[in-house]
Amino acid sequence: MSKAILVDVTKCYGCGACTVACKLWNGKKYDDAKKPTVGENAQLADINWTVVSKHRVADASGKTVWRFAKKQCLHCKEPACASSCLVGALRKTEGGPVVYYPDLCVGCRYCMIACPFGIPKYEWDKSFPEVSKCQMCSGRLAKNEAPACVSVCPNSAMKFGDSEQILKDARAAIASDKRYVKHIYGEKEAGGTAWMYISDQPFDKLGFKATVKNRPLPEYTWKIINKIPAALVVWSGILTGVYMITKRRDAVKSSKNSEGKGGKP
Amino acid sequence: MEKSNGKTGVVSRRTFLKGVTGAGLTGAAAALTGCKSTGKPAGGTGWTPQQYNVPENWPVQVRGRVPIDPENPSIVRDDKKCILCGQCIEACSKVQSVQGYYELPIKDDITCVNCGQCTLWCPTAAISERDDVDRVIAALNDKNLHVVVQTAPATRVAVGEEFGLPPGSIIEGKMVAALKKMGFDGVFDTNFTADLTIMEEGTELVARVKNALSGGHGRGEEGHHAPTALPQFTSCSPGWVKFCEYFYPDLLEHMSTCKSPQQMLGALAKTYYAKKKGIDPAKMVSVSIMPCTAKKFEAARPEMNSAGVKNGNPKMMDVDYALTTRELARMIKLFRIDFTALKDRQYDNIMGEGTGAAVIFGNTGGVMEAAIRSGYFLLTGQNPPELLYNLEPVRGLQGVKKAALNVPGVGELRVAIAHGLGNARVLLDQLREDKKNHREPRFHFIEFMSCPGGCIGGGGQPRTALPPSNAVRQARLDSLYTMDAKMYKKRLSHENKEVQQIYAEFLGKPNSKLAHELLHTTYTDRGSHLTAKKKA
Repeated sequence: MSKAILVDVTKCYGCGACTVACKLWNGKKYDDAKKPTVGENAQLADINWTVVSKHRVADASGKTVWRFAKKQCLHCKEPACASSCLVGALRKTEGGPVVYYPDLCVGCRYCMIACPFGIPKYEWDKSFPEVSKCQMCSGRLAKNEAPACVSVCPNSAMKFGDSEQILKDARAAIASDKRYVKHIYGEKEAGGTAWMYISDQPFDKLGFKATVKNRPLPEYTWKIINKIPAALVVWSGILTGVYMITKRRDAVKSSKNSEGKGGKP
Repeated sequence: MEKSNGKTGVVSRRTFLKGVTGAGLTGAAAALTGCKSTGKPAGGTGWTPQQYNVPENWPVQVRGRVPIDPENPSIVRDDKKCILCGQCIEACSKVQSVQGYYELPIKDDITCVNCGQCTLWCPTAAISERDDVDRVIAALNDKNLHVVVQTAPATRVAVGEEFGLPPGSIIEGKMVAALKKMGFDGVFDTNFTADLTIMEEGTELVARVKNALSGGHGRGEEGHHAPTALPQFTSCSPGWVKFCEYFYPDLLEHMSTCKSPQQMLGALAKTYYAKKKGIDPAKMVSVSIMPCTAKKFEAARPEMNSAGVKNGNPKMMDVDYALTTRELARMIKLFRIDFTALKDRQYDNIMGEGTGAAVIFGNTGGVMEAAIRSGYFLLTGQNPPELLYNLEPVRGLQGVKKAALNVPGVGELRVAIAHGLGNARVLLDQLREDKKNHREPRFHFIEFMSCPGGCIGGGGQPRTALPPSNAVRQARLDSLYTMDAKMYKKRLSHENKEVQQIYAEFLGKPNSKLAHELLHTTYTDRGSHLTAKKKA
C-alpha cells in the first residue's frame, strides 16, 4: 500500500523540529551560515533534505502574516528522476518513497535536470560526490513508522497514512473550512505526489512551483522511448538485409572473376 | 620459451587484457541493465529519540520544540545541539502557558514572552541567552567610555553556584568585587531602584486605593491622568508584562505605570548620576546583571529611552546591555578571576544603597511584602507593626498566594501573588470574569512574576537539576529572606537614605512630573499579533 503525507501549512509555526529530525536521522551536517534550514533564506541543499521556508503574505483582511512551508522531495507517483536515471540508482518503491541508491549512481546528474521541482542536489564539495535528496525515511516506512520529520511535529501539521485516505482527508479539510484555498498541491502536480499540501494561501506565494504540469513527465519521453524496441528490431532487420544483399553481390562478383581467371590458364 | 610447453600458467599480455576488458564490459552491462545489487539506500544512518520510533501516528507525549524567532533579543537556539527532547515545550506550555495557548495559524509574530524558562529546561543548552558578553568587554576596553553596572537582587544568591558553591550562597560582596576588578566605573545596586519602585508604585497604589474609597475618578497631580483601576498589578517582571500585553491586553489598565527597577536605574544613571558626576551621558554605557532573559527584551523596548529623550538623543537607550547571571559568571571566568577567593567590596555611592525590602524583590511575594511595609507607612504615616516584617502568607512556593491585612483608616487590604505564568492565568481569568459581571474587585494589589519562585528562579539564572528543582529555588529564597532579616541594616524602602536624597535633590516627590518622565512607562497592546485561545 502506497503511503502519503498531508502537510497543513496553516498549522506550522516554524519551529524547524522537522529539519532537525531529518538531520539527526540521516546524519546530515549543519551549515547555518550558508545553508540555513529555517527562515527566509532556507533552501534545499545537499545537506538539507528538508527545510522550512518563511513567507510574508497577506491574510484575508490584507494584513501581513507569516507562513511557513516545509519543503522536501515530493516523491512523485511517476518520478521523472527515476525515469531519467541510466543506471537505476533512483527507484520508485511500492510504499511510496523514491529512493536513491548511491552505489549505483554514476554521477551523470540527469535526475537533477529531469526533476520538475528541482529537488535533487549534488554534493559539489565532496571528492566522491553523490546526488542528495529526501528518502521519505524509507527505512522507517519499512517498519511502519512515519518519516522522522512527520513524527516530531509538535502541531501535527503533517499527517502520515495510506495515500487514498490522505487524499480523502485533504479533500474533507478544504471542503469543511473556507479559509483553505481549493487546491491540494501534489494531488495532480506531475501526475500526483506522495506529499500533498493544503494551505490558506495560494501555493505560489509559499515558494511552490505553480508551473509544474499535471501530466507526469515520464509520459512525454515514453511516447518515444516505447518505440525503441520496435525500431531496433526493424532497423537491425534492415541492416541484416543490406548486409546479406551486399555479401551476396560480393560472392557473385568474386565467383565471376574466378571463372574468368580459370578460363585463362 | 616457457610458454611453449603450455603448462606453466603464466598469462600472456593478450589473455590478460582480454580478461580485464571482458570483465569490465560485463560489469558495465550488468550495471546498465540493473543486474547489480542496489546496495544500501541513502540516509537513515542516524537516530531519533526513542519516543518518535513508534508505528504510524500514535500519540507522542513529549514532542517537537518551541519556535524561536532568529530576531529574538533574549534567547537563541543552536540546532546542532537540539535533540528534540521536547522539554522546551513542556516549560513553555505547562509552566508558562504560552505555547499552545494561541490559535494556529500564527499571525506576524512568534509568540514569546522572553522569560527564558526553556533555557533552564533544555538539557543540552541548545537554547541559551543571546550572548552580549563580548560587547560589554569591548565597552570596558574603550577608555573613552564610562561603563556603569547594576546587579539585580536575585543574582547575589545564585552566581556562586557557577563557582562550585551550594545553591543560595550569599556572594553579594564578592560579586561587587569581581565587577570592580573587571573595570566597571560604577557598580550600583538594583536594590536602590527597587526601593525607589516601592516609593513610586506604593504611591500609585495609595492613589488608586484612595480614589476607590472616595468613589471618584481621580485625576493625578501635575495634570496627567492617573490610572484608577483596582487591583493594581506589579510591573517589575518583563516576561509577565509581555504576557499581559499578549493575552490580557484588556487588563493593561491595571498594570502599574512604574518601570522595572532595571529601567529606573538605567534612566537615572544617564541623568541623575551623570549630572552629579559631570559625565557626558553620550559617553556612558549602562550594563545590568539580571537573573532574567526578558530583561534583554525590556532594555530594547523602543520606549525605554527616557534618559535619551531627556538628553536630546532619543536613540540613546537607558540600559545598553542586559547580561544574565550566567553571562556574568562566564565573564568572570573569562577574566580569570578566582571568584571564591575575592574579598568583599561595597556598592558605589549615589545609587548603591538598598534595604531588606528591596532585596526580597527577587523572591515570589517579595515585591508585595516590601510594598505592604512602605504602603502602610504611606497610608498611615507610621511604620508597620512587627507582623508585617515577616509576612508568611505571601512567602513560599505555592503557585497562587492570598493575604488580607487591616490598615488603619483604609480597612482591609487584600493582596494576591502569582508566580509562573500558568498560575497568573488563574487570577487573570477570575478578574476578567468579575469585571464582566461588574463585581467588586477581590484584590487591591496583585504581584505577578513570570518565573516560578520569582526572579531567583529566573530564566537567566545558573542551570541546575532538570527539571529546575524547588530545592534550589527554596535555598535561594531562604537566602534573600536571611539577607532581609539579618544582614541589611534597614528593612523599609522609604528609609533608604539615597532614595530620600534623590527625591530631595532631583525627583521632588514620588509620582512627580520628572518621576513620570523617567520612572514610569506605557504598555503595548500585543493582542493583534496572535489569536489567543478562548479556553486553552
